[in-house]
Amino acid sequence: MTAADSEPRRALAWACAAFAGGVLLNFDRVPAWTTAAALLLIAWRLSTERTSARLPGTVARALLALAVVAAVLARFHTLNGLAAGTALLMLMSALKLLETRARRDQFVMVGAGLFLLLAACLDRQSLVRVPLYALQAWLCCSALAVVASAGFGGRAALRLAGRALLLALPLAVLLFLFFPRLPGAFWAIQRGEQAVTGLSDTLSPGSIVKLVASYDPAFRVQFAGRAPPPEERYWRGPVLHDFDGYTWRRAPGVFHLRQRLQYLGTPYRYRVALEPTRQRWWFALDTPAQSPDTNVLLTYDNQLLGSEPLTEPVSFDAVSYTRTRALEPLGAFARQQDTAPLPPGMNPRSVALAHTLRQRASSDAGFVQATLEYLRSGGFEYTLTPEPLGADPVDDLLFNTRAGFCGHYASAFVTLMRAADVPARVVTGYLGGEWNPIGGYFVVRQSDAHAWAEVWLEGRGWTRIDPTAVVAPERLHRGVFDLLPDALARSERLLRSSAWLTRALQRWDAANAWWSDHVVKFDYSAQLDLLGRFGIRSPDARDLGWAFTLALLGWLALIAWHIGRSARPASPDALARAYTRLCRKLERIGPARAPHQGPLSFAATVTAHRPDLGNRVHALLARYAQLRYGPAAPGTRAQDIEEFRRSVARLSLSRAVSG
Amino acid sequence: MPARWSPLAPLPVLVRARVAAWMRRRQGLDVLPVTLERRRLYILPTGAGVAFGMLLLLMLIAGLNYGNSLALFLTFSLAAFALVVMQQCHRNLLGIAVISASAPAVFARSTGAVHLTLANPAPLPRSRVEAALPEVAAVAADLPAHERQRLELPLPAARRGIVRIDRLRLATAHPFGLFRAWTWVHTPIEMMIYPRPHGSLPMPAHRGHKSGARARGGSDADEWVGLRPFRDGDSPRQVDWKAYAREAPLLVKEYSPAGSELHLFDFAQLTDPDTEARLAQLARWVVDAEAHGERYGVVLPGVRLGADRGPEHRHRCLAALAVFGIDDRR
Repeated sequence: MTAADSEPRRALAWACAAFAGGVLLNFDRVPAWTTAAALLLIAWRLSTERTSARLPGTVARALLALAVVAAVLARFHTLNGLAAGTALLMLMSALKLLETRARRDQFVMVGAGLFLLLAACLDRQSLVRVPLYALQAWLCCSALAVVASAGFGGRAALRLAGRALLLALPLAVLLFLFFPRLPGAFWAIQRGEQAVTGLSDTLSPGSIVKLVASYDPAFRVQFAGRAPPPEERYWRGPVLHDFDGYTWRRAPGVFHLRQRLQYLGTPYRYRVALEPTRQRWWFALDTPAQSPDTNVLLTYDNQLLGSEPLTEPVSFDAVSYTRTRALEPLGAFARQQDTAPLPPGMNPRSVALAHTLRQRASSDAGFVQATLEYLRSGGFEYTLTPEPLGADPVDDLLFNTRAGFCGHYASAFVTLMRAADVPARVVTGYLGGEWNPIGGYFVVRQSDAHAWAEVWLEGRGWTRIDPTAVVAPERLHRGVFDLLPDALARSERLLRSSAWLTRALQRWDAANAWWSDHVVKFDYSAQLDLLGRFGIRSPDARDLGWAFTLALLGWLALIAWHIGRSARPASPDALARAYTRLCRKLERIGPARAPHQGPLSFAATVTAHRPDLGNRVHALLARYAQLRYGPAAPGTRAQDIEEFRRSVARLSLSRAVSG
Repeated sequence: MPARWSPLAPLPVLVRARVAAWMRRRQGLDVLPVTLERRRLYILPTGAGVAFGMLLLLMLIAGLNYGNSLALFLTFSLAAFALVVMQQCHRNLLGIAVISASAPAVFARSTGAVHLTLANPAPLPRSRVEAALPEVAAVAADLPAHERQRLELPLPAARRGIVRIDRLRLATAHPFGLFRAWTWVHTPIEMMIYPRPHGSLPMPAHRGHKSGARARGGSDADEWVGLRPFRDGDSPRQVDWKAYAREAPLLVKEYSPAGSELHLFDFAQLTDPDTEARLAQLARWVVDAEAHGERYGVVLPGVRLGADRGPEHRHRCLAALAVFGIDDRR
């Protein structure tokens, strides 16, 4: 195996590496078999290069391509959309690999690697993935160098590409900030189906437990002014009305007018940065005063409902109140909806209990208090791993297991209320939030998921009642993890055991928040804001064009200067400059130095012409020859040169022959 | 990696010719050594570079459409990367000095070479600088900092005559192959292509005595060989004054020293009807005679080269054979 043989192989290996990097970045987007097939094809192609086996012919490749399209169609039912497109790109490029012989084909593979990187960027923009993306970009650019120049070593290519990318960074940032963005999309974007994270629109036993295990942030909140106390930090999510005895559901397609409300207490102004949950809920503190965005509906049950699932991070400003009073009576429809009878015959003991409690109480409010008192004193236990409940789940919870978590208690409480004809509904959302001192915000995690109840009380309207707060009051002030003696929380507790780790985690979260706020969410309006800060109020295409051109030219000039510096021959050193000066002085009084003449030969010429100057001139020229060509005296060289320069400067020669 | 001779190859021939003529007018004729400065460097994206640009355009559209910041940032980074690459490519050629370019004479049906000396006076190493002659595959070289490099650009020598090259190209696509910077050095290079020595006729013996013309001043033993141009150091007694009086240039009568072999290779004495075959035979004799250290002369219709020997004489003879019957168009 000669060096010439290994060069095309190296180029192929690098092109394959760039492509494989793109494949791996997308492995969680596409079906596993797609990734596996692409990686297998890469491995096979590399092995054929080693054994110089024959590549499949045109017919085989065409058949394979058809099979791939069919497979992707069968899986996604479309070729449009990010996931399907990514899978198709992956497989088609992998097939392309089978006919990769020429340099051109290898360029195509590197291009596929870059395009897969783009697909990954389009899909996930979280900070933790950014280093991976950067590595992939670097890998692709290095592969470009190896493919372009046969015989390029891998390390040299990495160095070159890294340098070029670093030099490119300032312009990339400028372009990012000032390249005109679009207020909308060119064409409708097909969003693929996605795994759902966060609260769903149903509540059944166990659905919250799954969330509690997740440490992912749901959203972050920054208050302008005072933050509400912990027991008021209820973040409203889906409000559930329908109950089948087992699962609570939203009432789909129901649109009432929202009641007029009188807001009591402090208004809380805040900004929420939502993570892309791929859900339509926009979480706001208890009762938001109005919708923050034209695309968001403030429903009659005070939820904020977006028109599209959140696939990108979103921020919004809102004002909320934690106490309100209804100025109108409950509408007939809402009353009917929220006092909907339980499935007949279910939970008979609970129904009986509710009737008893209601009869003893003088009012609905008294009934609520009595029910809460029952829960407080009944020996109920808060646990995230309750025993499974039987056919009458509320009965089972209240009289049998007496152990459950927020979902169970909220569900049971609302069941009791409805059994006594008091309108009540289940509210899911989040409770609490962890203060991040570095970012100055609260981060609300999936593990803060919570469920509580709202009860209609005459004269007050919908009133928040949290039965969990009665069973486990400490839940209001502490996160779920502190309450659980469970294996579930072990890793989180470990993370929190060290102050340093906690601090590091907070820093990381703050970095994520910054990234999401300033980079991911940098869009058309953010760009307008930025331009406004530079005094450009209503930028038109010409202004932007000029600014853009100037920035580009400035940067190009800088880069050209930086890069060009090294391409110029070195400027003459101090010694050469002094020598040139000496020669010019001597030429004024005698013959010029011929181009081929060295210093000593020139000294002879000058001496012949002006014997009177002989000694002085000869000494100087000999000194130059010694400094230039003689053995270097290490420590004193700079000093010697300086001395020579000065004696040249001092030398004054008269034109006339003297003496 | 064979590169096309002209980065402008996709253009129609007429346009290409116009551009080449314009560049030549713009740069003027070069006198070596030439340093490649900015004014004469041209740069265009390669095919891969154009494809890369298309890829960027697609990425930009996708990023704008999805309103996806990271995708846009990636696109902008790659676009800026391409601009840096353009600068690096340009710089890889900038400041290189073309010290000399010459082509030694060769025989026909072999491959000659243009010897090109490049120097890199800067502290920056240059990689993969390709030098190319018109329509011939390029030769690539690396130039370490402050070093010279001699390249041999192969040049096929098919038929006898003079190959004139009016320009050569220096180009580079280093380091990423997205751009190609190039320059044309308009320096005339001539490569003499001797006829291929071929033929098996025995070398003719001297024919000096046949002419019977003895010049005064030559010794009896010396053979009169012919006339040759006057050179410094020639004895005035050997000058053909009569011819000079007839306003001919100063010519010297040549004699071969008695005793040494003297051959006069006469085109007219060969009988082969094919001119090329005759010239090939003459070339064969010249080469052999020189190799044996003998004195020889060549007589062609209109040309007469007196007896002599040595590399210069050999070149004169072979060159006369090479250009015989070929009118010099330039």
